[in-house]
Parts: sequence; C-alpha cells; structure tokens
Amino acid sequence: MLWLDAGQAAYRRDVTEQRAVHRLYDADGEPTRDKPWIIRTYAGHSSPKASNELYRKNLAAGQTGLSIAFDLPTQCGYSSDDPIAGPEIGKVGVPINTLDDMEFLFEGIPLEQMNTSMTINGTAMWLLALYVAVARERGEDVTKLTGTTQNDLVKEYLARGTYIYPPTESMRIIAEMYEFCLDAMPKWNASNICSYHLQEAGATPAQELAFALANALSLLDLLEQRGHFTPEQFERAVGRISFFVNAGIRFVEEMSKMRAFVELWDELLVERYGVQDEKYRRFRYGVQVNSLGLTETQPENNAWRILLEALGVTLSRNARCRALQLPAWNEAMSLPRPWDQQWSLRLQQILAYETDLLEYPDIFDGSPVIEAKVAELKAGAREEVDRIMEMGGVIPAIESGYMKSSLVRSMSERVSRINTGDQIVVGVNRWTESLPSPLLSGEDRGIFKLDESAIRDTVEHLEATKARRDPDRVARALDALQQAARDGTSMMEPSIECALARVTTGEWAGALREVFGEYRPATGVEGQQLNLSGDRVDALRARLDALTDALGHRPRLVVGKPGLDGHSNGAEVIAVSARHVGFDVIYSGIRLSAEEIVTSAVEEGADVIGASVLSGSHVALAEQIVDGLRANGAGHIRVVLGGIVPESDFEKLHAIGVRQVYTPANYQLLDIMDAIVGMLESDAEVPPPGGAVAS
Amino acid sequence: MEQRQQVVKAFAARGVEPDAIVLGVTGTPGSGKSSLVARLTTHLLDHDHSLRIGVVAVDPSSHLSGGSLLGDRTRLRPSASSGRLFFRSQASATELGGLGPSSFQVCRLLAYLVDMVLVETVGVGQSEADVRHLADQVYLVLQPLGGDEVQFLKAGIIEVPHAFVLNKCDEPQAQQSLHHLQSSLWLARPFDTEPVPVFQTSAKTGQGIGELAEAMAATLHGAHPGIVGREPYFFERWVKDEWGRVGTAYLERSLGGSADCLVRSGGFEAAQRDFHDRLVASLTRAPVGAHP
Repeated sequence: MLWLDAGQAAYRRDVTEQRAVHRLYDADGEPTRDKPWIIRTYAGHSSPKASNELYRKNLAAGQTGLSIAFDLPTQCGYSSDDPIAGPEIGKVGVPINTLDDMEFLFEGIPLEQMNTSMTINGTAMWLLALYVAVARERGEDVTKLTGTTQNDLVKEYLARGTYIYPPTESMRIIAEMYEFCLDAMPKWNASNICSYHLQEAGATPAQELAFALANALSLLDLLEQRGHFTPEQFERAVGRISFFVNAGIRFVEEMSKMRAFVELWDELLVERYGVQDEKYRRFRYGVQVNSLGLTETQPENNAWRILLEALGVTLSRNARCRALQLPAWNEAMSLPRPWDQQWSLRLQQILAYETDLLEYPDIFDGSPVIEAKVAELKAGAREEVDRIMEMGGVIPAIESGYMKSSLVRSMSERVSRINTGDQIVVGVNRWTESLPSPLLSGEDRGIFKLDESAIRDTVEHLEATKARRDPDRVARALDALQQAARDGTSMMEPSIECALARVTTGEWAGALREVFGEYRPATGVEGQQLNLSGDRVDALRARLDALTDALGHRPRLVVGKPGLDGHSNGAEVIAVSARHVGFDVIYSGIRLSAEEIVTSAVEEGADVIGASVLSGSHVALAEQIVDGLRANGAGHIRVVLGGIVPESDFEKLHAIGVRQVYTPANYQLLDIMDAIVGMLESDAEVPPPGGAVAS
Repeated sequence: MEQRQQVVKAFAARGVEPDAIVLGVTGTPGSGKSSLVARLTTHLLDHDHSLRIGVVAVDPSSHLSGGSLLGDRTRLRPSASSGRLFFRSQASATELGGLGPSSFQVCRLLAYLVDMVLVETVGVGQSEADVRHLADQVYLVLQPLGGDEVQFLKAGIIEVPHAFVLNKCDEPQAQQSLHHLQSSLWLARPFDTEPVPVFQTSAKTGQGIGELAEAMAATLHGAHPGIVGREPYFFERWVKDEWGRVGTAYLERSLGGSADCLVRSGGFEAAQRDFHDRLVASLTRAPVGAHP
C-alpha cells in the first residue's frame, strides 16, 4: 500500500483495528463467510437399484453428500441367501452382497466427486474394499475418494449390537484400515469415533465426551504400538481421526459440549502425543441429531425438535460440524418416505443458505456463561477419561462391564425423570391432547412401505453373480484373506481382491469368523446372578419333578434368539431361571435363523421353544418357526415368545400357534416360569399342586 | 423300551448296521472341549462331503434343582453341513458329569444313522471309565499348566486315553506343559508298545485342528468292535441303576453275567425284559420270611 498517503493509511489502520475487535469482516472487508457443512440424509432400503434411484433424487434436490444405510445382514456379515437374513433383507438399509450390488448402488454417481459416508462397522473393511474396487474397475482415482466408514466397534459392544469379531481382532481391523488409507486414500476417514450411540444409550454430556475421547486415545495408542507409522505418518494419522456426534434437545448444553470436545481434543493430543501441527489437532465431526428424543405421539412436533437440535451443532463456528444429517419427523414410526427426507433436507438448506448463520465468526467467544459451562463439562469429562485410561483403555473398560453399567444407570435415571414428569416431553407427559393430524391421515398414514419385489431381485442378482464368477479365483482370494488374517499381515488388499473376484459379504465375513471366532458379550449365561430363591422356587422345583415323572423325562426347553440384533440379555436370563427351577435348558445362542431353532428343538427333543425377538420381525419369525416344526413332524413342540412385541400383534401370534407371549412388562421371572410349567402341566394333564384342593 | 426294540428291528429289516465309530472327547471343564469339538466337526464335514457325524455333548446337572444349562450348541454353526450333522445335548443327571443315563442308548441309535459319533463329556474320575467302555478311541483334552497333568496322574486316568490333545497351544506356557506331559507319560504308561500320540491344537487360531481331524477321519477305515460289543458293560450299568446291588449280584450269580444274558435273550431290550421278569419271579418265589 505504498502509494497511499499517510492520512489514508491511518484511516485504513483504524478500520482494520476496529474490524479485528469485532471480527465481522476479513482483510478485504468481506463478511467472513464459512463454507456450508456437507448436507446429507441417512438413506437406503430394499435393493441397490431402489437405493441408487433415491440417492440420485436426493443429490438432484441439493444434497451435497451421501450417507448409506445398510441392512442388518450386510452389517452383521451375512449374504441375502443366508437363512438368517431372510426376514431382514432391505429393512433398515440397502443389502450389499457382491461388487455387482455396489456398482448398481453407485451407478451414475462419480465417486471422485462424491463425499460418501457409510454406517458400517463389523464389515467396514469389506465395504471399503468394495468401494475401492468399484473405483478401480471404473478407472477412477482412488486417492481422490472422500468419505467415511463408521467402523467403531467400541460403541457396537456398548450400545448398537452389530459387532462380529472379538475386541482385539476388531481393533486390528480398524488399525489396518488407518494404515491402508493414510497414503492410498488420504482424504478418507477410516473410522468415526462415535459418541452418537452413547447418547442414545443414555450417556450424559460428560460421559459422551469422556467415552468418545477415551475411545479415540485407545485407538491412537494402538496405532502407535503397532509401529507401522513413522512419527510424521503418525501425526498425519492423528489428523485422520474424526468423530460422529449426537445432538439432543438441550441445545445450549449441546453447543457447549461441542466446544468442550474441540478444546479437550486439542489439549489431549498435545499432552499425550505431543502433536505439533495444529491442523492435525482440529476436532472434525459429523452429526446425526438425536433420534432417542423423537416421539411417536404427536410426531409432527419432532420437526421443531430436529430444527433446535441442528442449531446446537451449527451455531458455534469454532465447533461447527463438517457434515450433518437430520432424521425425518416420523422416524419414531417407520423409515422415512422420500417426501419426509426432502422436508428435513430443506431445513438444512434454509439454515445454511437462507439465514445469516454462516456469515459470522464464532458468536460465543468471550461469553462468560458459555465458558463456565464448557469448563464444567471438560472437568467432568477429564476425570472420566483418566479413569478409563487407567483401566488400560476402552477395551478393558468394556470387558469389565464398567462402561455398560455407567450407561445403564444414566439411562434408568433419564427414564424415571420422564415417568415422574421432572423432565417434560411435550405431547408425551405434558399437553398430551391433540387435534387429529392431517400429516397422518393420508393413504399411507405417514408410514413408508417397502417394495417386497425389490428384495426378491436382490437374491436373484446374488444367484446370477455366483453363477457367473470364476470359482477358482474366489477360492484363491478367500485363502489369501485367511492367510493374512492368521499371519497378522494387512487384510486390506486381500479384501479388495475378494471384492474383484465377486466374493459375497457372507463369504468374506465367514472366512474371518473361522480365523477370529465370534464375539459374545461379557453378560453371558455363566455370569448371571438372579437372586431367585424362596418358597416359590421350591414349589416350582417340586412341580418340575412331578412333570419329570409324568413325562418320563425332565422337561427340555430350547432357548434361542432369532434375528440379528445382538442383545442377548433377555434370552440369557430366561435360560438361567429355567435351569434354576429344574428345566434341562438347551441354550442355542443368538443370531439364529428360524431354521436353526427348529433344528435345535427337533434334535434336542424339546418340549418347549423359548424364542426372544427384539428386531421387530417377530411375526415373520414365529411363522417360520411354527411352519418349520410342522414340516419336521414336530408340531407338538410348544413355542413361547418374548421380546418387544406390540399388543396389537398378540392376536396374530396366537393365531400362528405361539402359545404364550411375554413383553418387557412381564419382568417377574418366576411368573414366566410359573406360566410355562402350568402350560406343560395342563398339556400333560398333570394337576398343578394343590389345584384340586383349591377348587 | 418297546419303541427302541421296534426301531432296532426296523433297521435290521433294511439291512442297516450300527457300524459307526464312536470317539470320546473328554477333559476338565475349561479345557476348551466344546470349541474344539465344534472346530473338528466343521473341519471333518467340510473335507468329506459324504460324512455324517453325530455329536452327543454331556454336561453336568445342577445338584439343587435337577435342571441343567446345556450351552455347547452355541459353538457350532455349520453352514454347509446340510443335514449331515446331528447334535444332541444331554444332562448327566449328576453334578460331576460323566455319561448320562441314556447316553449309551443315544449313541446306539446314532450308530445306525451316522458314520462317526463324537461323545463329549466332562471328565472327572469315574466318568473316564464310562467313556472308555463306550468309545472306540478316547481323546483326553488338557490345557497348558492347568495343573491337570498332575491330577490326571493321581487319578490313574492317564492310562485311559488313546491320544492326548494339548489344547490352547497358542498360550505361552504351552511348550512347558508339553514337556511335562511327555515326561509323565513315560513314567505312567511304561507298557505302551508305541508312543501315545499327543496333538497340539488351538480352537482359537485353528492350529493343529487339521492334523487331529485327519487322525480322527483315519479311524473310520480301521477295524473297530462296533457298538454291539459295548452292550454288556452298559447292560450291567442298567441293572445296577435299576436294581442296585441285589440286581448286580443276581446277574452275576444266577444268570452268568451280562454277556451271557444278552446272547440268551438275543438283544438288549429282550435281555432287559427277561432280566426284569426273572428277577421279579425270583423275588416273589422267595420263601416267606426271607425278606422283612
């Protein structure tokens, strides 16, 4: 500015200082406009083709990234032709069996230009391999691929339930993906440290901060210990750690939580690893706002909740999310319809492009209230991080049950606050009266219905791919994968070769199951303490002895859990109680197909099957079990069912032939035992004890 | 008993022989038998597409309630066995384990239906003897430095098995335990003409599973006495369970032992019925005043 005269220069200096104080404008006098976050919608259903159409429509409507929802079989490592997959194909996301499906899914979508987030965990390495293979077959530049594989198994063990392998092996898979991506896909987030699901499982903001940060530190510790990175590479790897966060309705606290995350992450990286470069210490995160707080009653109110929750993660520029996905107003009722997703998308667009939100620097800097709130959250979180790291990191803290029991405690406190009305939920425990909603009165009653024919197409495509592929190449690829798994060398390239060879999701996961085994959570049947004793137990034991004499054998109960969610607690508690009162119990495990339960019951000569179903597929599974028993000439085996079953389905289940149904309302274990024993007594015409006297 | 006899007759009428080989897998709780059996079964079925296997897994019953919790099934998820695997859990009806009262009968039936029966039991004391009488080959599963080596020596059990399996060989103390076992064998089984095989396996990593499975598969081609040859011992056991010492004494003194009995009656069920009738008759014919 040498040509300016002195007066002009002084004036200019004044303006610059003023601008520095208010920081409203940049050096050129322009508003310091922030780039909008990546705008996404979590989507996928039925089949790769149906999902591809949906993605293209969403992108045309102004979405700037994709967020892929996979179905449960894909998440748990089963192909669509596995009997266990049957009732779940295409339900909560898109099924992906082979590279051909993946190519369908991204047809017409250039990968180099897309930012793709995949909610995938147990099979994350496989889905990443498929994504890379699509790019390689199309001749796209793999180093340009941008996106995220969720790939956080810690929260799967704690809350979400789609884990496959034991913790050590799962952490190894995550580490190998970081090692692969660092140079081969430098813009890819190999995993997302998730605090999202912790909040859904009841975590307080301090717990959410602490558990997520401890998880990230444990992962970095592992990457450091493995020693595959030079110090320079390690520092870059630190910069690749990203987070996936929840935002609840208390949006001022949530915004403060995000600021606490940013500050703590920066501090911890300096303290623990001495990370020099500031840009690698930046807290990068994506968000899905809270689903837990969305209500089934007066669901239209959820639209406002979603808006307020979005504010919590966008208001503070220094702690603003990099990517945002909003649920739809009717998510508590069903999967969203395309229109519902569009409505949520428009909310993001109004916030990002219509309001002045992005024009300012951080609007909370210097606020004493926010600073105090952030400091409080940080102090609570630090204490908890230290406790977990002293235990040896997150894996020991999971295996000892410490983290799980903390979450269960917080969750039960939350539920009791809502029950007592201390925590107001509009439309649920206050102002519950409502005019009829026109949003729910349409032909579809506001609910999305899946196209069943799309699901059949998926299975047909799988068969066609299997018929076309080269079986020798498949066998060689799977052998190489298992060899790498055993040797401890990277499984990433062998997985990509599997993808190219048209190996299926079930084959890839199965090959590693053979080497690594499958994880079973610590709350196993062996550890249960139920404190059941007293006269009622004695009476039940006497009745079982009488039944044993009458039947000529001790009554045999097969307990199993069909469906793909990993929550085994209910089934285990029933198994232990039944043994305690004198049944011979055959515990056949979790994630079973209806066919496997039928086989167990027939081979084991069961008197009763006790099936626990939490996945919502109870009607379909009950039909398959009862039909299967009849087909095997075992229609005499009684079926009782427990789980999350709405009362409106009771009649349907009884009509199918289910003898008894138990829901979380039946929490008295001895009442359940009493009813099962009573059923056997009446079938065998054994009088219940004292029955004759009483009547 | 009637039904059982009909089943046996039906098999005989079709010319089906009970010629499966019976292999016993035994060991202390925690030695990893169940996972090992699951691995072996999967390996065997994958490598021989006509092989049929029956697994009988026996676990202890609760002393208090009489009930049991049988969880071995959870370890097995055969994908492609398509009806070639039959799995039956059994409660031992005693707290210590060993064979259940009907284990022999289950194996006898399975011997008609499959090529190989695997009997998995918790091995403590007396039950080894039972398994030896039921199985053509007994495999004793040990874990590194579980201290079992010494216990088994004391109980004299080291003399029973046809082969040892040192499981969890991926654990650090495995080599030491192997030496310990080999030196114990030298002392405890001086009359072996050939060294007893010791297999090292890990159900966790899959190490050694192939060799052990192949050794098991090889027994299919060797000569074995068949389940019929096992009947005398279990007939005697049945007599003891049903009639106690009076029954055993009557079997030995008046009927010339179980082998004779079985031959005379022409089959297990017939012998059971004959024994029942004769014993009851002998008791009712006893002179007045002979019993209180």
